[in-house]
Amino acid sequence: MTTVNNNTNALEVKNVVKYFHDPSTFQVLKGVSFDVKKGEFLSLVGKSGSGKSTLLYILSTMDTDYEGSLSINGNMLTGQNQNQLSIFRNEHIGFVFQFHYLLPEFSALENVMLPAKKLGKLTFDEIEHKAYESLRLLDLEEQALKGANKLSGGQQQRVAIARALINSPSIIMGDEPTGNLDSKNSMVVQDIFRNLAHEFGQTIICVTHDNDFAQRTDRTIEMTDGLISNH
Amino acid sequence: MAQKRKNNVNRQIASVHLTSKIGQTVVAILGVTFGVSMYIFMNSFMNGVNKAQDDLAFSNLSHIRIDNENEKNDYNPVEAAFSSGTVFNIRNKKDIQSETDIKNTQQVMAILRAQPEVKDLTSQVNFSVFYRNGSKKINGTISGVDPNNENLMFGSADKVVAGKWDDLNYQKSGLVIGKILADNLGVKLNDNVNVLTSDGISKNFNVIGIIETSVKEIDKSRAYINIGTAQQLLGKNFNYSTGILVNLYDRDKTTAVVDRTQNSVKYNMETWQEANQQLVAASQLRNIIASAVSLAILLVAGFGIYNIMNMTINEKIREIAILKAMGFSGGDVLTIFLTQATAIGLSGVFSGLILGISISSAVNQVPFKVAGLTTLPIHYQWADFAAAMIFGILTTILAGYFPARKASKIDPVIIIRG
Repeated sequence: MTTVNNNTNALEVKNVVKYFHDPSTFQVLKGVSFDVKKGEFLSLVGKSGSGKSTLLYILSTMDTDYEGSLSINGNMLTGQNQNQLSIFRNEHIGFVFQFHYLLPEFSALENVMLPAKKLGKLTFDEIEHKAYESLRLLDLEEQALKGANKLSGGQQQRVAIARALINSPSIIMGDEPTGNLDSKNSMVVQDIFRNLAHEFGQTIICVTHDNDFAQRTDRTIEMTDGLISNH
Repeated sequence: MAQKRKNNVNRQIASVHLTSKIGQTVVAILGVTFGVSMYIFMNSFMNGVNKAQDDLAFSNLSHIRIDNENEKNDYNPVEAAFSSGTVFNIRNKKDIQSETDIKNTQQVMAILRAQPEVKDLTSQVNFSVFYRNGSKKINGTISGVDPNNENLMFGSADKVVAGKWDDLNYQKSGLVIGKILADNLGVKLNDNVNVLTSDGISKNFNVIGIIETSVKEIDKSRAYINIGTAQQLLGKNFNYSTGILVNLYDRDKTTAVVDRTQNSVKYNMETWQEANQQLVAASQLRNIIASAVSLAILLVAGFGIYNIMNMTINEKIREIAILKAMGFSGGDVLTIFLTQATAIGLSGVFSGLILGISISSAVNQVPFKVAGLTTLPIHYQWADFAAAMIFGILTTILAGYFPARKASKIDPVIIIRG
């Protein structure tokens, strides 16, 4: 099923160590190293406090306060400043969160278009066309012009996925992307992710505590007390 | 191109933020509107008051006055002739009549006329007289004037309520008399008035005009005659005057003219600022009050905007975090919120200008019939409008900057992870 360059690493993590200093210094990640291949659908599991979410936010480039190194598509991201990282995120990483976090005053379509407008590589018409395609892929075409706050939870989560897809990022990261959805919608989202990974070659990394979800992914990395215990 | 589109998306987000809570936005705009309009109204009103005051004052006050009145005679020939240590005793010493007038009027006027700042100038022969009509006898002053130049400087012709000012040019025995003085003497137009000088010379004048300035003191005691007649009455030649009055194009340039000509003029030169320090002080104080009040209003408006922006940012903190996760930089977030502040500032300034002009023109219609005024005075100045715009926009941008900077520093990880 996998198509594109299965041998290239989409993401490389080397010996990442992370401390929390508040309220007292505490080592959350104790030297985590792993690679993710292009087109892989990966899940990160572990008990709460195991450091899986912390790890995801380091991978997302939003958290820069760590030791070790992170590279995505061969770009060394450790040590870059916030502005460089935000430009990189815009182009290469898509996010889906447990709570959809759409901009409530914008329509579904506008929400999807935002990251592409920010990237500014396409004309308005091209962006709109692409946004409609993303929405169609997620079966949301008819909701396109509705306000984001008028949609159901499952629809909002799918809009968030469409938004994550708009810039054709090489990696999509999800923090409990199905955590707030009923089982039916959860299945829909999982199918979409698998589809994206296997047909479009997009790498997907999801933090989840849903074991059914984890079992349907290509690979599961389990975290225990800041270390990878099983993968 | 890319840069342009990115700015557009920031602007789009800003405009959605502004329009989604339209009530809040309107309140913020109204704050600026009120501050700016008050700034314009207060300053235009104060300018109007200052201008009315100045018009009144300069209706008989020249920008520079040249006279010889301060000359003191300290010279004592006895002290000079004997060596020091000599004891002498002078009783009931009498000074020679010291000169209180200008002997070379034409030469002095020529020097001043050559100055580029000088607009108009005229010479006057003023002296005290008794006005007599039958048994009535009133102490007053006579101004011998050059009718044309006097009119150019003080607009005297407009103040004549009966008769004609210009007739002073032709009727050498004509006299334009202050209204109250005329009433007190019981004379009317074309009546005769007898004038008696301190040297005992008496002459009959024909009342060819009655003048009403807004200064009661003048209307009560002064009459105008042709300067030639005045010189004759005193037995002086055409080059004689008691004072030269000079008006400049810009009345604030008096010091420059005085400094430049003092050495060649040699007489006492007094600027209007020296002569009327209370006038200068009063207008400056009024300006300070106007600025202080209106800036205070703008400051309050600024705090209002600060508050509203802070509230907006707290409400939208998750959206800001998600924007950052999507790849919007701190600078983009700063731009989004500064754009909102600027939009509020610009709309507030614009509506403030309109409201300010409306309030001012409404106040300008309020009747106020005191000292030559008919309505409350308003005077617009470009500088006030410019200052109101600059202060209005500056206040909003400053008030928006601090919340916007806070928003730009939001750490998305902390917000998204809860």
